[in-house]
Amino acid sequence: MISARGVRFGFPGRPVLEDITIDIEESLTTVVVGRSGIGKSVFLKCITGLLRPQAGSITIDGEEVVGAARGQLLAIRRRIGMLFQEGALFDSMSVYENVAFPLMYHKSASGKEIDRRVRAYLDLVGMLEYTHAMPRELSGGMKRKVAVARAMILEPRYLLYDEPTAGLDPASAAVVESMIRRLQREGAITSLVVTHDIDLTRYIADRIALMEEGRITAHAGREDAFEEPSAIYEHFIENRERIRAENGNQG
Amino acid sequence: MSHAKSEAVQEWKHAGASTASMYANFFFWLFREPFPTRQLGQQITRVMLEGFGILAVAGVVEGAMFAWLAGWYGTKFSVVNWAGAASLYLLLSAATTLIGAMMFAAKIGTAFTVEIGSMQMSGQLDALRLMAVEPTQYIVIPRVLASILSLPILKAISDICAIGSAIVLARLWFDISVPVFLQHALLVLRHTILTTSYIRCALHAFFIAINACGLGFHFQGGAIELGRTTTKSIVINLICVLVIDTIYGVMDSVFGWSTL
Repeated sequence: MISARGVRFGFPGRPVLEDITIDIEESLTTVVVGRSGIGKSVFLKCITGLLRPQAGSITIDGEEVVGAARGQLLAIRRRIGMLFQEGALFDSMSVYENVAFPLMYHKSASGKEIDRRVRAYLDLVGMLEYTHAMPRELSGGMKRKVAVARAMILEPRYLLYDEPTAGLDPASAAVVESMIRRLQREGAITSLVVTHDIDLTRYIADRIALMEEGRITAHAGREDAFEEPSAIYEHFIENRERIRAENGNQG
Repeated sequence: MSHAKSEAVQEWKHAGASTASMYANFFFWLFREPFPTRQLGQQITRVMLEGFGILAVAGVVEGAMFAWLAGWYGTKFSVVNWAGAASLYLLLSAATTLIGAMMFAAKIGTAFTVEIGSMQMSGQLDALRLMAVEPTQYIVIPRVLASILSLPILKAISDICAIGSAIVLARLWFDISVPVFLQHALLVLRHTILTTSYIRCALHAFFIAINACGLGFHFQGGAIELGRTTTKSIVINLICVLVIDTIYGVMDSVFGWSTL
């Protein structure tokens, strides 16, 4: 389980996370929602140890991430896969090399085994026919599918998604949504998704948390979250309807 | 105005801190396993291919320019036969090293900054860290070592082009025959001149590559900031090349390395 207690983080002169407290339960998909720029991606980077919180505690399977020594952090990171916003594929490598990279660099499997696993994961995300393509030849949705395969190749226990559908057209977003759903069914992985996409949230979430003003202000199961009245329902539905109405009136 | 000034000061402070921390990181990771042998090979090939053209052209231009200057003054003072000696001495001891390093900073240094800065911007460096791959080890060390190994070879190519164009110009313009040109040149050239210029070359490569990688590595912001960082990379590296050459020149004159 991933557990955050009183996490505080800020950049010089700009506080971002004030007091984040949340438990990410095993084998479920938790979606953290909140408006853009509120610090959702920062929270993911704190979990993975890429950013160090100024206060609070983050534990993964009971091991402390904040202030962990380099070796300990590397061991923790081996249990985590992460999908970055734009996929973060390596431009100089083909799709196959991108996915094989973690295994090849650490020499953690034989050549045959690497080939088998790369093909299996590319097949899982529906990208097996693009093994020789370079990232610049792929659409945004395809890049993210390859990035998921790369994140999965080390068979992590936790998969973190940073705005997996941001900037995608509805059709590509739907493909990414179905892929996340399929991975949930087939992999039994604990997933943490940060997004402001209501459709994605409805489709994949087991639990939903609302981040506002650097805090988790509501945390509920999917059914409860979309029931009226609830803070999450209000955030999603009422804000959207109000903004649409305002824009409509102005128009 | 004062806000813009303080912002500029902050930017330069950040640039200074970025390069300084990269020196420490480089030596910290240099002797740790796994050594990036494959990436080193790839970077040597890349640096040689990207640097070859510009250093060869620079060599041709420098050779012609120095031969013309030496021949013109030689004619004026009736010592035209010494034009070969004067031009080759200046070329091999100073010009090809200095101008070669500047060309290297402009072509390869900026490429390193933009490449690593883009990787930082798109999250590729963070992706590496999450795969338990240290970016300094995987990205920076191969580029720095490849630069140290490649720039002296590129200088040798530049030297050959410079000597060739100097000989051709001296023959065509001042009617100095090739044997006369070389005979006089060999009277003043010592192997220590070449040795010290190649050592300087490797030093330039080290500082250029570390500065360029450091600026890309600690880059923050978007496209505009990446443009500014690239400009900083070339400015810092050109100043660095001049400072190294000055310090080396002073030390050389004190200890007499190139006249041993």
